[in-house]
Amino acid sequence: MSATAGQVIRCKAAVAWEAGKPLVIEEVEVEPPQKMEVRLKILFTSLCHTDVCFWEAKGQTALFPRIYGHEAGGIVESVGEGVTDLQPGDHVLPVFTGECKECHHCKSSESNMCSLLRINTDRGVMISDGKTRFSKNGQPIYHFLGTSTFSEYTVTHVGCVAKINPAAPLDKVCLLSCGIATGLGATLNVAKPTKGSTVAIFGLGAVGLAAAEGARISGASRIIGVDLNANRFNEAKKFGVTEFVNPKDYDKPVQQVIAEMTDGGVDRSLECTGNVNLMISAFECVHDGWGVAVLVGVPNKDDAFKTHPINLLNERTLKGTFFGNYKPRSDIPSVVEKYMNKELELDKFITHQVSFSEINKAFDLMLGGQGLRCIIHMEN
Amino acid sequence: MSSTTGQVIRCKAAVAWEAGRPLVIEEVEVAPPQKMEVRLKILFTSLCHTDLYFWEAKAQNSVFPRILGHEAAGIVESVGEGVTELAPGDHVLPVFTGECKQCAHCKSEESNMCTLLRINTERGVMLNDEQSRFSINGKPIYHFVGTSTFSEYTVVHVGCLAKINPLAPLDKVCILSCGISTGLGATLNVAKPTKGSSVAVFGLGAVGLAAAEGARLAGASRIIGVDLNSSRFEEAKKFGVSEFVNPKDYNKPVQEVIAEMTDGGVDRSVECTGNINAMISAFECVHDGWGVAVLVGVPHKDAVFKTHPMNVLNERTLKGTFFGNYKPRSDLPSVVEMYMNKELQLEKFITHEVPFAEINKAFDLMLKGEGLRCIIRMD
Repeated sequence: MSATAGQVIRCKAAVAWEAGKPLVIEEVEVEPPQKMEVRLKILFTSLCHTDVCFWEAKGQTALFPRIYGHEAGGIVESVGEGVTDLQPGDHVLPVFTGECKECHHCKSSESNMCSLLRINTDRGVMISDGKTRFSKNGQPIYHFLGTSTFSEYTVTHVGCVAKINPAAPLDKVCLLSCGIATGLGATLNVAKPTKGSTVAIFGLGAVGLAAAEGARISGASRIIGVDLNANRFNEAKKFGVTEFVNPKDYDKPVQQVIAEMTDGGVDRSLECTGNVNLMISAFECVHDGWGVAVLVGVPNKDDAFKTHPINLLNERTLKGTFFGNYKPRSDIPSVVEKYMNKELELDKFITHQVSFSEINKAFDLMLGGQGLRCIIHMEN
Repeated sequence: MSSTTGQVIRCKAAVAWEAGRPLVIEEVEVAPPQKMEVRLKILFTSLCHTDLYFWEAKAQNSVFPRILGHEAAGIVESVGEGVTELAPGDHVLPVFTGECKQCAHCKSEESNMCTLLRINTERGVMLNDEQSRFSINGKPIYHFVGTSTFSEYTVVHVGCLAKINPLAPLDKVCILSCGISTGLGATLNVAKPTKGSSVAVFGLGAVGLAAAEGARLAGASRIIGVDLNSSRFEEAKKFGVSEFVNPKDYNKPVQEVIAEMTDGGVDRSVECTGNINAMISAFECVHDGWGVAVLVGVPHKDAVFKTHPMNVLNERTLKGTFFGNYKPRSDLPSVVEMYMNKELQLEKFITHEVPFAEINKAFDLMLKGEGLRCIIRMD
């Protein structure tokens, strides 16, 4: 039992008071965990594009003040009633989507979209009582994705926490609690390229590069990176990308360019931008007869995926994935092991480091399109 | 060696002289098979919607006069140079799409879309010399999808023939050379429902009922049949269909109706109409997390498949199939065996029978939407 078990903890958190305004480091109060909840000490966190999207809150219901953050690594400080799977001192990755292990989705061998705990971007409170565990001077501060990791301490549902190897360096594996696992799993669990196959990756940000890393690990013979920003190409080589296509360089649709480069189409494609036109290109660039396209990136507006039905009848497969189809509690620990046994490389995703007090620099870097992942150190 | 080997055969064929006009039984000349070709005696054939579509030839480049027909069974009469896999007397199913066994598609475990011999609806001649093997008084009569089975004898590329168990009754298994295999394979090879799963089948014609039959064989617990024509429901029960939905009976989209019936969506759906809205419904009615939708029916050329990307990102899979993903030469013989060992039932698909001279009755039945398959006896 930690010394703080059962008590309110006062600690630092980076609070977003208004959409799009820099976060402010505040002293907040963090309630103890209730039934089926755990309170975690966050040691490292990183910024993911989804945090930025909801912080900007363009065209969405604004919920402020809020503590963002969902990619992180930490240690359990205390557990609430009914929690048996975790105890103080356990090393964990909080995840923005959960696994209750009881519902149809959790029991399915395929789905990771838990009926109870699947991602909910609107909710700013805990499920058990509809209230937040954060406050400042009595004013509630809202949760984000059930994680809120831009805080020295946070409270999450036990179903949203993956217990991992305590020997794993948290400042590296924190990346596996969102973006990197999303891209990696899209390739390893869903696209499943065979050794020697050809893969196209649309979007060479962190998620796309993680997808490329998955293709590299699978032994793909060609990994074609597609991005509108030619600056990304050099970095992408570290992730196994062998060829580059910038759609801006061509007069014809990029799916045609790719089909011509690959004698009819790639074996697998992964779409990691969320741009609907690229989703269509990613689908239409896979080979007829056996090609599989996997959509990963989430669109930010209402749009339609459209294709001619013959593209499907010609035996192309279209799939979509969510969090790389990983079940957070059941699968993420083994992804950490892939890193520990050196199959998976993570260090190359980390391009910047800042201290917690400088968290806004991470936002600046992302808004400026710079770097891949910036690790935020909670402790000095 | 048959006595007609190497010679022109004079026989009867049902010739389509013009789009939409009744076929005329004519005496035609059938040239011997050239390199990699086989001449067959057709014993039984049946009408498939695709024959009808190209016979009507609405808004396509019509090729006439033509001998249609692609669902059939026969016996090899003679073989051309280079053919080693077949010999006179072999029982075969001609198939409208082939398997050269050499190209990347044939070598792939998954694809059945042979680069050399895949379906070509425009071509009316043989690949070897780009000529037709059929003629009347020296004038060529065009082939159709490389089969042209509405003729007592036809010439086909060896890659388009499946050699089958000689004990199999040809008047039954002829229907496996197109529609029934298409539907059956869509379920067994592509949708692959597990035992106890729920399946929705859109379109309860022969292909849809074959898809339902596949779901029945796979042990599906619920097979929901969707059709605008309620009179099809009774027949569909014989094929394992357990529940029926007529989209006309509801004010909301049929995918919503199905999702409500199945606690969020079916495990698998198979779309067998080719209607673009049904295709979209078939995709959107499968359960998120694990649902798979398989498109089978072929739409008109201007159709656009449209869905919100979230439907895909929520872990639904969308697939399409062609000829049930069966490789004609490698796989069809084993489908015939499924019938021979009584796993697969075929008799229930056969609702009518006519002699060759009355072949136009088969067209009439199909145009009226009556029946499932009409067997045409060549003798």
